[in-house]
Amino acid sequence: MQDPSTLLDPYIRLQGLHSPVLQEHCRERPGDFPSEDALWRLSRQDFLQTLNTTLGLILRMLSALQQDLPEAAHQQAEMNVRGFGNNIHCMAQLLRGSSDPKAAEPTQPGPGPTPLPPTPPSSTFQRKLRNCGFLRGYHRFMRTAGQVLRGWGERQGRSRRHSPCRALKRGARRTRPFPEIRRLAPRGQPPR
Amino acid sequence: MALFAVLQTTFLLALLPLRTYQSEVLSEPLPLTPESLNVSINSTKQCLHLQWTVHNPDYHQEFKMVFQIQISRFKASNVIWLENYSTTVKRNQVLHWSWESELPLECAIHFVRMRTMVDDARIPAPRLWSNWSSWEKADAQNSLGDHPLYVFPKDKLVEEGSNVTVCYISRNHQDNISCYLEDVLIYGRQLDQNVWAFEFKNVSFIRKTGTNFYCKGQGDPEGVVLLVSKVLEEPKNFSCETQDLKTLTCTWDPGNDTGLIQLPSYTLFESFSGKKTLCKHRNRCDWQVTQDSQEMYNFTLVAENYFRKRSVSILFNLIHGVHPMAPYSLFPKSVSATNATVTWKVYSIGSSSALLCQLQLLGEGKVIQQHNISVRVNGEYLLSELKPDTEYMARVRCAYADHFWKWSELISQNFTTAEAAPSEAPDVWRDVTFVSGHPTVTLFWKPLSKVHANGKILFYNVVVENLDEPSSLKVLSVPAPANSTKVTLNQSSYQICVTAHNSVGPSPASTVAISGHPGNENVEEGRMNGTEDGFPMSWKPQSRNATGYVVEWCDSPQHLPCVLRWKNLGPTNTDTVISSGAFRPGVRYNFRIYEISTKRMAHLLEKKAGYLKELAPSYNPKVNMSNLTSHSFTLSWKDYPTESQTGFIQGYYVYLKSKTGEKCHRGFEKTFLTDNSVCCKYTIDNPDQKTFVVKDLQPESAYEFLVTPYTSAGEGPLDDFRKVTTPDEYSHILIHIILPMVFFVFVIMIICYLKSQWLKDKCYPDIPDPYKSSVLSLIKFKENPHITIMNVNDCVPDAIEVVNKPEGSKMQFVGTRKSPTETKGTKPAYLDLLPTEKNYSGPGPCICFENFTYNQAASDLGYCGHFPVTPQAPHCQLGPLTSPENLLKTLEQSYMNSLGEIPAGEANLNYVSQLASPMSGDRESPPTNPPEPALCSEYKMQMAIPLGLASPARSENSSLSSTALLDPREHCH
Repeated sequence: MQDPSTLLDPYIRLQGLHSPVLQEHCRERPGDFPSEDALWRLSRQDFLQTLNTTLGLILRMLSALQQDLPEAAHQQAEMNVRGFGNNIHCMAQLLRGSSDPKAAEPTQPGPGPTPLPPTPPSSTFQRKLRNCGFLRGYHRFMRTAGQVLRGWGERQGRSRRHSPCRALKRGARRTRPFPEIRRLAPRGQPPR
Repeated sequence: MALFAVLQTTFLLALLPLRTYQSEVLSEPLPLTPESLNVSINSTKQCLHLQWTVHNPDYHQEFKMVFQIQISRFKASNVIWLENYSTTVKRNQVLHWSWESELPLECAIHFVRMRTMVDDARIPAPRLWSNWSSWEKADAQNSLGDHPLYVFPKDKLVEEGSNVTVCYISRNHQDNISCYLEDVLIYGRQLDQNVWAFEFKNVSFIRKTGTNFYCKGQGDPEGVVLLVSKVLEEPKNFSCETQDLKTLTCTWDPGNDTGLIQLPSYTLFESFSGKKTLCKHRNRCDWQVTQDSQEMYNFTLVAENYFRKRSVSILFNLIHGVHPMAPYSLFPKSVSATNATVTWKVYSIGSSSALLCQLQLLGEGKVIQQHNISVRVNGEYLLSELKPDTEYMARVRCAYADHFWKWSELISQNFTTAEAAPSEAPDVWRDVTFVSGHPTVTLFWKPLSKVHANGKILFYNVVVENLDEPSSLKVLSVPAPANSTKVTLNQSSYQICVTAHNSVGPSPASTVAISGHPGNENVEEGRMNGTEDGFPMSWKPQSRNATGYVVEWCDSPQHLPCVLRWKNLGPTNTDTVISSGAFRPGVRYNFRIYEISTKRMAHLLEKKAGYLKELAPSYNPKVNMSNLTSHSFTLSWKDYPTESQTGFIQGYYVYLKSKTGEKCHRGFEKTFLTDNSVCCKYTIDNPDQKTFVVKDLQPESAYEFLVTPYTSAGEGPLDDFRKVTTPDEYSHILIHIILPMVFFVFVIMIICYLKSQWLKDKCYPDIPDPYKSSVLSLIKFKENPHITIMNVNDCVPDAIEVVNKPEGSKMQFVGTRKSPTETKGTKPAYLDLLPTEKNYSGPGPCICFENFTYNQAASDLGYCGHFPVTPQAPHCQLGPLTSPENLLKTLEQSYMNSLGEIPAGEANLNYVSQLASPMSGDRESPPTNPPEPALCSEYKMQMAIPLGLASPARSENSSLSSTALLDPREHCH
């Protein structure tokens, strides 16, 4: 999911946006996705919540872009986002059920405006550029989310007491709705 | 009424000039001037939409009028369009007119005005234009925001091949705007201070998502997407049909996709009923048949998109368009070896209609039977004349029986008939070899064809019957798929029957008879040529009762073991063509033709050999060269097999190349090789000749030769010339002389070596040891006290022999055989030191040392004999002396005592130097003072003679060597 060749590149090819001039302006717009700093500042609970919300936004955008994307790329991206969203949802549930103090940390300054679907531009050309920037932001956001999750794993190594992973494990031992949960993101596995 | 009309017209005609006059003079608006002109903008369609009214309270009837419309761009004076619009105007009617701009309306302000003129025949000329209306302004830029750059038209939908104009408005005059069409920088035309336009002609389709045009200044790029649509095609192959008389299905080929996401719409309209339906698919549409028994339908299919509308119509009779659904449940039942019954079902059409079904039977992909059956619901048919153990396919299709139009889809079912006993005897042949006089028969048979096997062959039965012992039967069962077996027989006659068996039973038997004795194999082999079709051959029958002929051969004779093939021919055949896919050019095939007797015995008729196509030899024989002389040499290639070649060897070519470029010898002909070198070629047209003598060559010349065979297809490779150089003409003579000489010398040396002892004895025997001399024993035996051995020291030389040697003269061995002339120059002179023989008259004892080896001949001649010796004294005393010194010492040490016993007075010793000893020559030329015969002792030098000097000295050199050894000083002490 971090790899632009999975979604952004097919979109650029299909829409004819491969010129350097247009590539220069195929930029993520501020506010489309939470910034990296904002994500790092979030508590784990809020991070997962933000992630979940953003993934919902992405799914809606993908649905709107169905006609503008190659069918295979669109389907694959949608499946990836759905699968990742499921994992995040489960993690959030486990964190919520754990006694990890970090999970209950007060939320620091928020990630900014809650992501909203970008307003459809007036013309097709602007919509193309807008969607292009959105997809670039999507890949950037997924990469950042992966880094944050990897950061969790590294912190766990340094301070096991405050390990969300341990918290997740505790939660998993209690509930264990899915045995595979231990192999998911708490270890810092970045989304692909 | 007519009168009224005339009056009205007259009135109008009178009135109009007046009105015109008033407008010109009074500038009053005419009543027919357009009113309420309203201009609206349709940006999507780039249209200016005009709306106005003509208010004339004086007239209530319709008039035909002309409206002249002017359109200006940017400013009123810049008129870009002028058009007369004619229409019929009613009183207070609101009129509409639209104008499509090639330039997006957002890029320019437009001004519109119009004037009118009555163009009605009821109103006589002159017809004058009304005044122009005031300019109406159409400004689409009012709706634009404050963005610095705008590009229009937004999302323009254009058809491929059309022209389109794109423009941009830049609010910042300082901005440097660059515009691109699909990454290509393009330049436009400036329309106004801040408006630029770009005209694209004959635009083409690039992608479904549109062609991108964008401009970029300081800020973000602004652009538009031109959605280019391919031209909508007219639907093709429009037709309708029904499967059940309830629903009509119309289909068509929509042609190429327009390439846009927005698909064209397809509408089906039926004119008789006036109904229409919007089709859900782009190539098919369903139409429900009404219950009012409508039989005829007039359908029109309309395809429509943004740009075009295409339509196509057909007139359709419902009964004539029945295409039944495919039958179903097709099954074979009661399948035997030759018969099968198949059943199937159909969907009924209507209540009483029947279907015509066609049943096809296919074997190996081909239709072999076809039957038409009328069916209402269930169909059944008995298929006969089937072949056992054969897979068939039954397939059925049906059509509307009342009016055939189209077959339904096919359904098919495979089935296999049951097996039956094989219908034909296997084709059997044999190969007989005799081992120790006993025939060993290898039976071969060909697998039965599928047609004749009638099932899977499980095994073959081989029954061997001894005809001489009818009760003796031997049965072999050979499991399939073996196709041969070996039987060892004795010298009786046998009949062998072979049958093939499947699960049902055996085939008819195939019989061969074997004689216990070898037949006549001494049949001369004939030759034949193959053709593209194979090997044509014919033969002469030997017997009138032949039941057939068999031709046998090996498919790949170059590979062992032989893959035996045979061909059975009837008794009337005396020729055939043997063909096989295994035949290859350049391979020799041997055919044997047998005649089959009534007793199924095979007799060899003919042998034939041939090539499907002869090829040039692929390699040359290995040639041995021999008998090389200065003028000829011999070539031979005896181990070159001709039978395994790629063609019949017809002979050989002998190529000879001479480096001197001499002319070709007799029998040779000049030829050119592939490298353009000149060569002499000799043709040997006898393939059995495998030796050749190359003659008439030049001595000491280099030649190259090559022997290559040739067939009817050509000669072998010319790439392995061997070199030979003829020797010198006289060298062989030298060899004939020198070699025997060397051999002779060698033999002599060997003989000398082997006979060295004998030669030694003969030429230089050992010097006898005086101590062991028989003289001593004789002395002892006689006990003569007067006889003793002389002590040399006691000898008082009484004479000195002076040898006058002329310069250059050489010393001669004493006793050597010299010619008188050789010895003339060496006359010794004797000096008497003591009173000598002249004074000595009486006899006295004289001891003569004689070495027979030294001079045997002289001894024999009695050189000592002239010295008087007492009868008791031995003739000579013999003894070995290896050197003069040893001799003296020996004499001093060994015989001193003995000599001492001899009284000096009795022993009158005359010592004479050995160098002056009498020689043969001396006898002829006696010295001046020859010694008197007296008892004297003569000492002759004893020495060993080297082997090489044993032979008589022939040269002066030999004398010189002797001189060095016989220094006289060594002898006189």
